[in-house]
Amino acid sequence: MNLAASRNRKSKGGLATSKRRFVTGVTLPMLLYESIGLFVLGWAFVLMFFDYSPGRIGGSILGLGGSNPFVGLGHFVEMIKGTSVQANLFRISLRNTLIFAVVILPLNLAITLPLAWLLESIGRRFRALYRTIYFLPVLTSSVGVALIWMSMYNPQSGWINAVIRAFGGTPLAWLSDPRAGFANVSVAMWAVILAYLWQDYGYNMVIFIAALQGIPQELREAALIDGANPWQAFLKISIPLIRPTILFVCVMTMLSSFQVFDIIQVMTNGDPGNQTQVLMLDIYKSAFRYQNMGWAAAESFVLFLIVMSVTVFQMRILRTDWQY
Amino acid sequence: MNKKILTLMLVLVFVLTACGGAAPEDGESASTTAPESSEPVTLRMWVHTNNAFIAGYEPIIAAYEAEHTNVDIQLENFDYELYLQTLQTAMPAGEEADILQLFGTWTAQYYERLAPVPAEVMTVEDAQKTFYAAPIGGYIVKGVLYGMPQEFNMEYGGVLVNKTKFEAAGLTYPPQWKTMDDVVADALKLVEKDQSGMMTTAGFHFTAADPTWASFLAGIKQRGGEYWNADQTGFTFNTPEARAQLQWSLDAVTAGVVDPVVFNDSTNFVIDAFFQGMVGIGYIGSWAIAEGQANFPDFKDEWEYIYLPSIQGDPVFVADSGWGLTVSPNSKNQDVAWDFVKFITTDKANATQWNIASGTIPAMPSVAESAEIAAAEPWVPKALGILPFGQYMGSMPDRDLVMYEIIYPHILNCLQGVETLDQALEAIETEANSTFE
Repeated sequence: MNLAASRNRKSKGGLATSKRRFVTGVTLPMLLYESIGLFVLGWAFVLMFFDYSPGRIGGSILGLGGSNPFVGLGHFVEMIKGTSVQANLFRISLRNTLIFAVVILPLNLAITLPLAWLLESIGRRFRALYRTIYFLPVLTSSVGVALIWMSMYNPQSGWINAVIRAFGGTPLAWLSDPRAGFANVSVAMWAVILAYLWQDYGYNMVIFIAALQGIPQELREAALIDGANPWQAFLKISIPLIRPTILFVCVMTMLSSFQVFDIIQVMTNGDPGNQTQVLMLDIYKSAFRYQNMGWAAAESFVLFLIVMSVTVFQMRILRTDWQY
Repeated sequence: MNKKILTLMLVLVFVLTACGGAAPEDGESASTTAPESSEPVTLRMWVHTNNAFIAGYEPIIAAYEAEHTNVDIQLENFDYELYLQTLQTAMPAGEEADILQLFGTWTAQYYERLAPVPAEVMTVEDAQKTFYAAPIGGYIVKGVLYGMPQEFNMEYGGVLVNKTKFEAAGLTYPPQWKTMDDVVADALKLVEKDQSGMMTTAGFHFTAADPTWASFLAGIKQRGGEYWNADQTGFTFNTPEARAQLQWSLDAVTAGVVDPVVFNDSTNFVIDAFFQGMVGIGYIGSWAIAEGQANFPDFKDEWEYIYLPSIQGDPVFVADSGWGLTVSPNSKNQDVAWDFVKFITTDKANATQWNIASGTIPAMPSVAESAEIAAAEPWVPKALGILPFGQYMGSMPDRDLVMYEIIYPHILNCLQGVETLDQALEAIETEANSTFE
């Protein structure tokens, strides 16, 4: 073996070793991190088959069994046809979560998509300014947003009621009147939805702006030359071309709507009369306030199934097989 | 598929077992060997974050450490919600502190994970003689004592009264209430509304969560009723006494002393509303005094804390056990921990000092009746007449669930006109009994 061949082999061997070290160094921490995540998921999965409370010692294996008995699918049966307060709260929370998500999605799209289109069509200098203004609420903490809206909704000193009074109307206890509602949805839920929309719409708007900017200008120009007006160009050219983005926005908005928690916890904590109690809030209360970890794990699993089903459904109906 | 899931669960349980924390077996306890007097001992003590409470603990800890130079007590505090979560995760793992501040009523939920009080420290009989019945009740589970209370948590009967508003309304001050009807009569004159008819000042704000359940349960008792069944294995809320008490509240709302839609637990909470001048008479436990003074230092109206007359007969009421101290069975220095707990809770001077600092009603009659307490907490002597009538509310599977998710929401629904009285009582009974299942 000559010297050059030996050097070449040594060099290749060194590179391979370096690569192996790099791969090992990157993969091991990732696997460790993933295993922690799997451990948590696995623990939640096991818990949902037990009536587990951390306050009780239970059996010898991780406190499972004994005073934390195995209940099999008992939690799920109770959720469907039980009369306990937890079962009632779960069904109310599920209904409220569905209302919240179903209302939020179309309203969000109805606001963000036209707004993005409008912003996309104005001058570059103003576009940046408005984009920043609309995006600011996204950067604000949910607690801050909740407090701002709570002060606006205050029945005595809030400015919304002040305006209503100024026009001779009847003021309302926006966040605490269980009797008031619109379209079979309580006014408190509408009030929370409005606050959530205000905080969230800037995010989707920026995504839509990016998508609209990605559409080749020639396509729109061709449509305009062919006699389409701007509105028709938006409906017939822009919307179909950004369908993948719409799918992404729908999925993400639906996911975050199903998992809404902080803004509702601060604004109403589920009141009045559980009319704004959503699943995440119910899970949190069950687990950490009432220590029913097994029940909370079962509720989390139901939420997971719902979110997964809705996501798969959205991906099926909005899927596109082409790109521009 | 089923086999795969079962296998996965078995593997998970195996892994979790390997990783899990140790819990003491039944009858087994951690070492209680008394350390040598010179042997350094470090005790960790967990409490919930309440600045007044912490200000009460610190000098007493310092005094104990001065007497026992080898002992170092490390006080750690957590926000209320975080404290609950920390207890729930630390206790199963056996990682909790040596000394744990617990709300007495929680003891029934956590007693399996707490060390019983050694007989040489205090027996159940001694504890019942030392403390009022209501505060000690929660620390005794199945005849075993698990801790010592520091306060008499009294949600029943006390009201914040705005003297300035009374005088502005031309009412007699101090109020000379003989019956609850007298209270309602005064409250009606304190009510204020704006031009649109919205209530801006509640005459008698009794519709927050704690006053609602406390007055409801006390009203049942005072009318000669009972909300427990004979062997305390279930509730009996759909009774004539409960109906009469709820009807009384409904009548007061109908008369117009408070609008429960605008004044409740989540909107215009009684402490906030009172100290912003939006309430004439505000029903709340005396713990609200310290909080109100701390949060609203600029409140200019003159006010006082006084006690309501009973609805009928003796002022019988029920109470939680309030905050107190317990010891972990995993503590390696249980004897020192108990010695400190006894030092802080049963030593009259220390207990007095802590109650004054925290603004709480003492758990011991001998402290409640002391001149120091009377001077520092003028509302306590006013309560001395009714404190002996306080009964422990009884251990239930989930006290918070019953009070805050069942009794309060249904009563509020009834007062707001969302449920009828019958619907509310039936729902309370059914749902409360479901917590035993």
